[in-house]
Amino acid sequence: MSSVKPSRLRQGLKVQGRVIHALIIRELITRFGRENIGFLWMMVEPLLFAGLVAIIWRMMRGSEEHGVSIVAFVVTGYIPLTLFRHVVGRSVAIFQANSSLMYHRQIQILDFVIVRFLIEMLGTMMAFVFIATILICFDAFPIPADPGLMIAGWLVYCAFSFSLCLMIAPLSEMSEVLEKFLPVTTYIMIPFSGSFTMVSWLSPGLRQYILWSPFVNGVEMMRGGIWGEHLVVYYDVWYPLGVSMIFSAIGLVLIRRVRRKIVVE
Amino acid sequence: MIVCQNLSKSYPMGHGRKHVLRDLSLRVNPADKIALLGRNGAGKSTFIKLLGGVELPTSGTIRRTMSISWPLGFNGGFQGSLTGYDNARFIARIYGKPYDWMKDFIEDFTELGRQLNMPVKTYSSGMRARLAFGLSLAIDFDCYLIDEIILVGDANFREKCHYELFERRKDRTLILASHDMGAIRDFCNRAVVFRDGQATETDDVARAIEEYERL
Repeated sequence: MSSVKPSRLRQGLKVQGRVIHALIIRELITRFGRENIGFLWMMVEPLLFAGLVAIIWRMMRGSEEHGVSIVAFVVTGYIPLTLFRHVVGRSVAIFQANSSLMYHRQIQILDFVIVRFLIEMLGTMMAFVFIATILICFDAFPIPADPGLMIAGWLVYCAFSFSLCLMIAPLSEMSEVLEKFLPVTTYIMIPFSGSFTMVSWLSPGLRQYILWSPFVNGVEMMRGGIWGEHLVVYYDVWYPLGVSMIFSAIGLVLIRRVRRKIVVE
Repeated sequence: MIVCQNLSKSYPMGHGRKHVLRDLSLRVNPADKIALLGRNGAGKSTFIKLLGGVELPTSGTIRRTMSISWPLGFNGGFQGSLTGYDNARFIARIYGKPYDWMKDFIEDFTELGRQLNMPVKTYSSGMRARLAFGLSLAIDFDCYLIDEIILVGDANFREKCHYELFERRKDRTLILASHDMGAIRDFCNRAVVFRDGQATETDDVARAIEEYERL
C-alpha cells in the first residue's frame, strides 16, 4: 500500500504539469497570437503602465521625494499594483469562459486560475526586470541592496493576490453583483495597496492600521530590499502569508462547490 | 468497467428544479456496445456528460476503471479560435501523446489537408466531427462516448468510423447516443431507453428499439 501512494502522487504531479504547460501555451496563443512579438506582449502592458505613469509623476513632482527617486518609486509601486488588478480582473467568470475545457477530465477548474495567475505574474516580473535594468543603466534606479528581501516581498504580494483570485473566481460565478462591484473596489483599494505611499510617511499611530493590508507588507519588503538602508520600512512576513492561507482555504472550498454546479454546453 | 450508482441530475429552473435523470444505475462491462435511446431532451446527452466527467451528478456516484474518451459531440473539447493543429497539439500535450505521431494520424484520418491550419470555428459540423473523432482515436481510449456525431459525416467518413470503431477496436467499449436505428441494430448488444428522467436498461436491443419508436 505504502509503495503505491508515492507513485500515484508522482503520476498525478506529472499530469498536473502537463496540463498547466498545455493550458499556458493555449492561453498565450489565444490571447497574443503568433504575430510579431507574440507572447512578449504579456509584459508590454505593465511596462507601458509603469513607464508612462513614472514619467508623468517625474514631470509633476520632480526627481525625488522623501529622499528616493520618483521614477523608481513609481515603478516599484505600479508593477505589483498592475499584477493585482490584472489577476483579479482575469479571475471573473473564468470558469464559464473555459467551460469547453471541462470535456477533458484531467483539467480541473483550479488549473484555470493557476494558469492565468502564472501568466500575469511572469509578465509583470519580466516587465519589472526589463524596466529596472534600463533605469539602472541610466542610474535612475538603485541596484537592489538585498535582492532576497525584494524577491520575498514580491512572493508575499503574489501569494496574497493569488489567494484573492481563488476566492473571486468562484464568487463571481455565484453572484453577478460581485462582477459589477469589482472594478470600483480594486480602484478604491489603491490607497491601501502600498503602491504610492510608504508606511514611514504616516504618523506612528496610523502605521499599524495600514499594515493590516497584506499588500502593504509585501510592497514594504520589496522596497526595503531595493533601497536597503535608505528607507525605513515596516512589515511582517507571517501576517500576509497567514491571511493568504485562510483566503486560499476558503477559495478552494468555494471552487469545489462551484464545480458541482457548472453547466457545460 | 464503469459502475454508475443511483445517479441523479437536476438543474435549477425558475423557482424549482428540472430533474433530467433520476436514480440511474448502470454497469458497463468491457467491450459492451450500449445504445442510448430516447427523444430529444430525454437525458441522453446529460448522461454522456456525467460519464465523461464534464458535469458532476447532483447525487450518486460513478466509478471508472477504464479510460473514457471525452464526449464526442458537436461542441466541446475544442477551442474555436485555435487552428486544428493547435487543438491537436493541446490534446497531445494533456494526454501525454507524442505530437508528431498525432499530427500524422489526424492528417491521414481527417483528410482535412490545409484546413487544419485554419481556426476550428471556420469548420463545418462534418469537419469538426472528423477532427474530434480523429483526435480521440489517436489517444486510444478503452471506452468511447459518442453523442450523435457519427451521423453528420459523409459516406467516406462513416466508412472510416465504422472501420476504426467496429472492426479495429471491436474489443473497446462504446456508448452511443443516436437516432440511427440501423447502426444501433447492427452493432449494439445493450440498450438504455430514456423516458421522463427514468432510464430502463435491457439486453434486448430489438425490443428497446420498438419501445423507442412508440415513444
